[in-house]
Amino acid sequence: MEPAILAQGIDKAFRRGLFGPAKEVLRRVDLRVAPGAIFGILGPNGAGKTTLISILATLLRPDAGTATVLGLDVGRDAARLKERINLAASGAHFLWCLTVEDNLRFYGHLYGLGGPALTARVAELLDSFGLVEYRRVTFERLSTGLKQRLSLAKALINQPELLFLDEPTSGLDQDMAHHLREEILRLNRDTGVTILLTTHNLREAEMLCSEVAFLKEGRLVSEGRIPELQQRLGLGDHLSLIFTDSPPPLDYGRLPGVLTFRVEDSRVHLVLDRVEERLPDILAAVHDTGQKPARVQVKPVDLEEIYREITH
Amino acid sequence: MRLHTDFYKIWAFSVRSALVTRRNVFAVFEMLFWPLIGIFSVGLLTRFLHLEEETVSFILIGAVTMNTIQIAQLDLSYALLYSVWSKSLKHEFIAPVSLFHILIGSGLVGLVRGLLVFGIMGFLSVYFFDMDLRRPGLTGLICFLLGMFLNAAVIGALVVALVLRFGQRAEVAAWAFSYLMLLLCGLYYPISVLPESIQILAQFIPLTYFLDYFRHFYGFPAASKHPLLYGFGQTVLYLILSYGLVSVTLRSAYRRGTLLRLSD
Repeated sequence: MEPAILAQGIDKAFRRGLFGPAKEVLRRVDLRVAPGAIFGILGPNGAGKTTLISILATLLRPDAGTATVLGLDVGRDAARLKERINLAASGAHFLWCLTVEDNLRFYGHLYGLGGPALTARVAELLDSFGLVEYRRVTFERLSTGLKQRLSLAKALINQPELLFLDEPTSGLDQDMAHHLREEILRLNRDTGVTILLTTHNLREAEMLCSEVAFLKEGRLVSEGRIPELQQRLGLGDHLSLIFTDSPPPLDYGRLPGVLTFRVEDSRVHLVLDRVEERLPDILAAVHDTGQKPARVQVKPVDLEEIYREITH
Repeated sequence: MRLHTDFYKIWAFSVRSALVTRRNVFAVFEMLFWPLIGIFSVGLLTRFLHLEEETVSFILIGAVTMNTIQIAQLDLSYALLYSVWSKSLKHEFIAPVSLFHILIGSGLVGLVRGLLVFGIMGFLSVYFFDMDLRRPGLTGLICFLLGMFLNAAVIGALVVALVLRFGQRAEVAAWAFSYLMLLLCGLYYPISVLPESIQILAQFIPLTYFLDYFRHFYGFPAASKHPLLYGFGQTVLYLILSYGLVSVTLRSAYRRGTLLRLSD
């Protein structure tokens, strides 16, 4: 299946002033995103996330490399590509004196919509995002959460096949951020839209993304599904078996799914690829020795651990 | 189908400009107050100086032209400034719109506002200062208006290019540029009163020829044999050049990341 996004060897540098030194922001970035996925680009501030998303969204030309989105070159075919993509960014900004409805109609027109089709689309989005009662409120008078909802509604005005979300929940309170994440998941589930999102919120990436890529100082240092990354980096879920006496003499390293292990007094610490699948087999192997652990502690690996491993 | 979608894209920018004007009390103020001040201060000065009817018309034409052009070019100049001020530039440029849609859509509202200002100032000039606006006839009036609006379009396009290159700090330079142009083209005086070296510069400003053309109906001989030919010829050339400049600047903005910087 053709990838929704395929970027190869993307370089980008910005020059300060006319003759100032060039600062490299992206270096030889390769990326592949499957259609229908929610793909997360993670990295600290200044890692190049927004630059990468801007290149893929046709807002910035790369210095080197090629990128195709939905099979179209982001440079040569930008005009055709723009019809099929859209963007919502953190800190939503729209014209202050236009109402919620005016803004949606304005952007609808920009995508060539008009007449009853636009009216119906605007009504549908106002309804989906709970904006009906604010339709006549000007943008400057909306709360941050409502502005962000409008931003997402605007991003869907042309029913895009691919949606770029640049730190979509940045600046929102916990409840609003949670609500927006639910909305993003619902969108992906209901419409099959491919979503590329940047974030430095690991919990958000964990909740939303089927695959992630880590950017560090402009380089893409790792990419894949979270369990794959975990395996590749030797990171796994933590399982601790606590015995009342010394642990049974087992070859723990040969137990299914064990990546590393350590025996300490009456405890055995195991790092497993997928604890929920492996736990019954491991407990059965322990039982076969005639001993039973007094306590079992499980701590699944989280993205933060992967992030720490990669970016430090 | 393509025409249909192009229409909506142009319409989007027209509606946006119109809504901003309607909801911004200062925009209305800008459109009515300054033209009123302009026409009365100049008109009353001519009365104080006891000038002949033709000379009064000469000067009033300058006042009407200045205000009409200033107002007409505003919408075009603001086409990008609205987006820069509201930090929404990247949302406009991620959409499938071209410079053509932006400039035409915004320019149309400028045209309407310019016509309105011309109408108001023309009426005041006729009513209070006995200027005879019918003298050039309909063709003369239409040619002059067309010349003015095309000149306003050139100024607006240059402002757009400057904003794309330097951001909103370019705005001041843009106003300065348009006032300089109005100074050189002989707005309140024949260009023959300018120093000779400056007169040469004035010949490269199309508005010089349109003013020359319009004023010849009021008894002031045109300095050029074919003012409309020179005026429209230069205007078309400058329009092509300024459109080219905006296109090049936009391409550069895509490379330099200006669209993103202006959206931050």
